Amino acid sequence: MSVSVRNSPRSSGAHAGPARRRRPAPATLGAAAVAVVALLVPVLLPATQVSVYVLLLLAAIVVVGLSMLMGFAGQVSLGQASFTMIGGYTAALTATHGLPTWLGLLLAPVVAAACAALVGVPLLRLRGHQLAFATLAIQLILLSLVGRLEWTGGDIGLQGVPRLQVAGYEFAEEISYAYLALGALGLVVLVTRHIVTSRPGRGLRALATSEVAAASSGVPVAVYKQAVFSLSAGFAGLAGGIYAFYIGYVAPGSFPVLLSFEYVVMVVVGGAGTIWGALAGATAITLLLQLLNDIGTREGMPASAPTVLSYAVYGLLLVVVVLFLPRGLVPSATAWWDRRTASKPMEG
Amino acid sequence: MSALLQYLVSGIAVGCGFALLASGLVTIHRVTRVVNFAQGMFAVVGGMTAGSLLSAGLPPGAAEAAAVAVAGGAGLAVGVVATGRRGTSPQSALIVTLGLGFLAYAAEIMIWGDNPRSYPGLGGAVTVFGAHVQKQSFLVIGVTAVVFALLAVFFGRSYAGKALSACASNPYAARTMGIDPLRMGLVAFALGGALGGLAGVLLTPLQPISYNSDVLLITNGFAAAVLGGLNRPAVALAGALTLGVAESLVAGYGEASYQTVVALALMLAIMMVRASRRTALQEEAAR
Repeated sequence: MSVSVRNSPRSSGAHAGPARRRRPAPATLGAAAVAVVALLVPVLLPATQVSVYVLLLLAAIVVVGLSMLMGFAGQVSLGQASFTMIGGYTAALTATHGLPTWLGLLLAPVVAAACAALVGVPLLRLRGHQLAFATLAIQLILLSLVGRLEWTGGDIGLQGVPRLQVAGYEFAEEISYAYLALGALGLVVLVTRHIVTSRPGRGLRALATSEVAAASSGVPVAVYKQAVFSLSAGFAGLAGGIYAFYIGYVAPGSFPVLLSFEYVVMVVVGGAGTIWGALAGATAITLLLQLLNDIGTREGMPASAPTVLSYAVYGLLLVVVVLFLPRGLVPSATAWWDRRTASKPMEG
Repeated sequence: MSALLQYLVSGIAVGCGFALLASGLVTIHRVTRVVNFAQGMFAVVGGMTAGSLLSAGLPPGAAEAAAVAVAGGAGLAVGVVATGRRGTSPQSALIVTLGLGFLAYAAEIMIWGDNPRSYPGLGGAVTVFGAHVQKQSFLVIGVTAVVFALLAVFFGRSYAGKALSACASNPYAARTMGIDPLRMGLVAFALGGALGGLAGVLLTPLQPISYNSDVLLITNGFAAAVLGGLNRPAVALAGALTLGVAESLVAGYGEASYQTVVALALMLAIMMVRASRRTALQEEAAR
């Protein structure tokens, strides 16, 4: 977890020297501190605020996957929420049909990844804006179909999803879902980190810059793109599965197109292609939206204030970050820090 | 038979709306290489503004023209933000226009609320061969035909149109001839905004629009434009008409809620067929 950003060739290489060797220690400390805080937060938060934390963690799970897709494979998905939706419906359908709930949680990422693998065969021939529109189209089609079909409950959706039970333990409390989501996020971060720092990870970064150059260096471009697409969909499916058990119902309205856009905002703001960026983006946007919601629902505010405020902030953030911090908050901040620490020994 | 004719005419009318939207998308993409996600927003702004101006007492015709001008202004504003900063890649500009779409949502909800709105266009219907067709449909078709003819003259004959085409085919060569591609990009954005606004003004009496109608409008417009590789307005027109008629037939004979599914599936199929004919090398060379 700690070295995810450090190991990328972008932040190393240029600044070799004494500062480089000292760095892992504070980074490990930082990661440990974040982990401790993340573990303590559910206990310290008042019970009413825990739900925000759970939703934040679920968003972070999806965003880590999407960030890998956007930052390492260079593909924009404007329909990532469709895989969250597939995961959620898989879990809900399994559980409401009398099968064990843990099976539902297990199937959610598997089915989402399988769907992505299937759709990805024709879809990943497209690149750039075409892929963006194609993924958006997939989600619009899925929303329309799910809203019509009988076995998905139509527009009303599936209600009465039982609580998750694993080996006799029932996840009944809010706080238990916070730890479940935290565990899932930890797993997702570990998997992503191992991929990013491995040989395939370098291949992915190569194909994000130029598919032709990567292919001529022996990177199996199509297979890698397919694998990352499926993996990011699997992450989204996992988050969707936990969401279904946590909220207790799923409906097409729970996974609007706006949710997909929200994931993209989180990736772009945090910084695509870094795990820390994904975590920071998800945290910053969720907290900001919560704050705006608090302001918007105060007395004297018009009824539409929360929506207007959140749209305005999404828009402003996207425009400002893309134009002025194109690499996102976290990579820009680490680059600034690197410059500072690299220049100090020379002065002294 | 009369039902078929009815579906055909209303399908062509809706398709004409998509065609205007798509031609705006094509105009902007040709010159700036930016896929403008906010194109659907221009239609919403145009339609909503026309409605407000009409209810404020402006005579029909003047209200619509003013609304198209407002949408053109919105297009110019989007262009300034999306391409005004040097070194913004077309990929980032797509995300910027997505963000501007969100900002527009906020403004639209503040001004017009979040309920679908409409206004009476050309009221009444005429009966042709036993088919009831709204007069507005004929108005949409007529205006679109005139606009496309004007666009052809503009791009083929006028100096500004030729300058735009020059920037589209080779920005470097255009600059050596004293044409500023950045300024031409802004002209393209304003023109695209006006075309999108016109689509909104014409379509709103046929189907009410709300602030978030833009997602469906832009996907339909993109579907039409992508048929011509986002670069050929005439092919986009053909694509848009096909799309409109297909949707109208599905809604008429099948189920209304499946019409977007059909349109989107058509778009995906077209993109995949086109993609299979282009290799990664060609696409990266075109960048």
